[in-house]
Amino acid sequence: MSEDLVVEDLHAGYGDARVLHGVRFTVRQGEVCAILGPNGAGKTTLLRALSGVIRARGTITLGGTSLTGRSPDAVARLGVAHVPEGRGTFMPLTVEENLRLGAYVRRGPSVEEDLERIHTYFPVLKKRLKQAAGSLSGGEQQMLALGRALMLRPRVLLLDEPSLGLAPLVTRELFRIVQAINTEERTTVVVVEQNAHLALGIAQQAHVLETGRIVLSGTAAEIRADEQVAQSYLGYRV
Amino acid sequence: MAAFLQQVVEGLGAGAIYASLALALVLIYQFTGIVNFAQGELAMFSTYIAWQCVAAGMPFWLALVVTLAVSFAGGMLIERIIIRPVEGAPELTIVIVTVGLFIFVNAAAGWIWTFLIKDFPNPFPGGALEAAGISVNFSTLGVLGVVALVMGLLYLLFQYTKIGLGMRAVAANPASARLVGIRVGRTLALGWGLAATVGAVSGVLVAPLLFLEPNMMGGVLIYAFAAATLGGFDSPLGAVVGGLVVGVAETLAGAYVGFIGSDLKVGVPLVIILGVLLLRPQGLFGRAAVERA
Repeated sequence: MSEDLVVEDLHAGYGDARVLHGVRFTVRQGEVCAILGPNGAGKTTLLRALSGVIRARGTITLGGTSLTGRSPDAVARLGVAHVPEGRGTFMPLTVEENLRLGAYVRRGPSVEEDLERIHTYFPVLKKRLKQAAGSLSGGEQQMLALGRALMLRPRVLLLDEPSLGLAPLVTRELFRIVQAINTEERTTVVVVEQNAHLALGIAQQAHVLETGRIVLSGTAAEIRADEQVAQSYLGYRV
Repeated sequence: MAAFLQQVVEGLGAGAIYASLALALVLIYQFTGIVNFAQGELAMFSTYIAWQCVAAGMPFWLALVVTLAVSFAGGMLIERIIIRPVEGAPELTIVIVTVGLFIFVNAAAGWIWTFLIKDFPNPFPGGALEAAGISVNFSTLGVLGVVALVMGLLYLLFQYTKIGLGMRAVAANPASARLVGIRVGRTLALGWGLAATVGAVSGVLVAPLLFLEPNMMGGVLIYAFAAATLGGFDSPLGAVVGGLVVGVAETLAGAYVGFIGSDLKVGVPLVIILGVLLLRPQGLFGRAAVERA
């Protein structure tokens, strides 16, 4: 059974402010899909609609199961891990507790194994397990957010601007880890990102979102070669 | 010296009761940011349920178990029916709702059980423990023991169970808690149920010392507010320490400060509330609200 994430005719917004106007795209199982676009295009709104944080009209299905109209906790139980803008850290709780919360909907001994596995991806977290998560640096908190999402053993990972506010070196490390997760765990990834270079570097498919509509879709290479995209998001001419 | 220590012991006994109601206040505040002005009245209502069970011939401890269970269910029900609709409303709206709940519960108790005072059985034996010139009533010891037990159970729940971890996650970051799959609505209801249960314990502890009547908890609520403010409204440990400090401060002020005596004692918590808000608004154990610019 294919585990594709299929989005069709998706409309969403906040109250009377409609942000998404009929978004449609498909992410094949195990692929990384990058959503590019300027500020205010609706990238964050799109992820929120996918994970059920805001109400949406249209169809969202994952491996044939409909996600539309489900609450965020129900979507999480179906295996969609959303790393939100601002990282969603549980500040007063310890790093270990934050990680365990990622596996809240799972049970059994596999949770302990996964805790170990997370440490191989993020050695920096291992030294800080008993520390309050709020005391971590921005980069470490982003690693923690990613680790917490992995603890769900997600079928789909939704990443909202992972590079936001981080030093370039940390950002590169982060994307390297996302790529490793994608190849080793075969996790489908949807990443929303301002830094088009990095996102296209790990993605197979990419879509450009402008004022709530997808204006351009293609393989990462095609998008990278597009003159318009190059000017707007990559900062150079082809 | 012995007389002084005697006063401290009395203060601790009273303080333990304030601590238990403060603990109930803090439980709800932590999860919802709501200060539940009706907490004392809910405790009073629970106490009446215990009284009714005993009056119907139940042994005291069985009546207590029934009362705690009913209080837990009642607290959850109140969250679902009365608080849920105003969730996310401005603070003033929620304050008015809990004040309304205060008046409603108070009147309901008066309507069901009348405003005539009732004798409430003391679960602890009479007599006292004598040591080093101080005498400690068994009932004071019992109150302290029960509050320590409640505190210990809550600590175990929050630190060592998955459901407790989920509750702390909801208190820390409800939006993120939802994303990891926690049913936040259910957790909030659970918080209200727990608070009502802890409040019921304080009502049952205070009733034998005062008399059972619908306005019994009014004064205790003021002391509990002082305790929670002093300890920090978001810290269960703070609520207990705050309660004990308030109890001792009130007793000592009554005994040693001439003009206070027993008449002005109730002014002590107000002075404590004012002092804490001026000097250290987050309380002794609370976290100051700090936001990164």
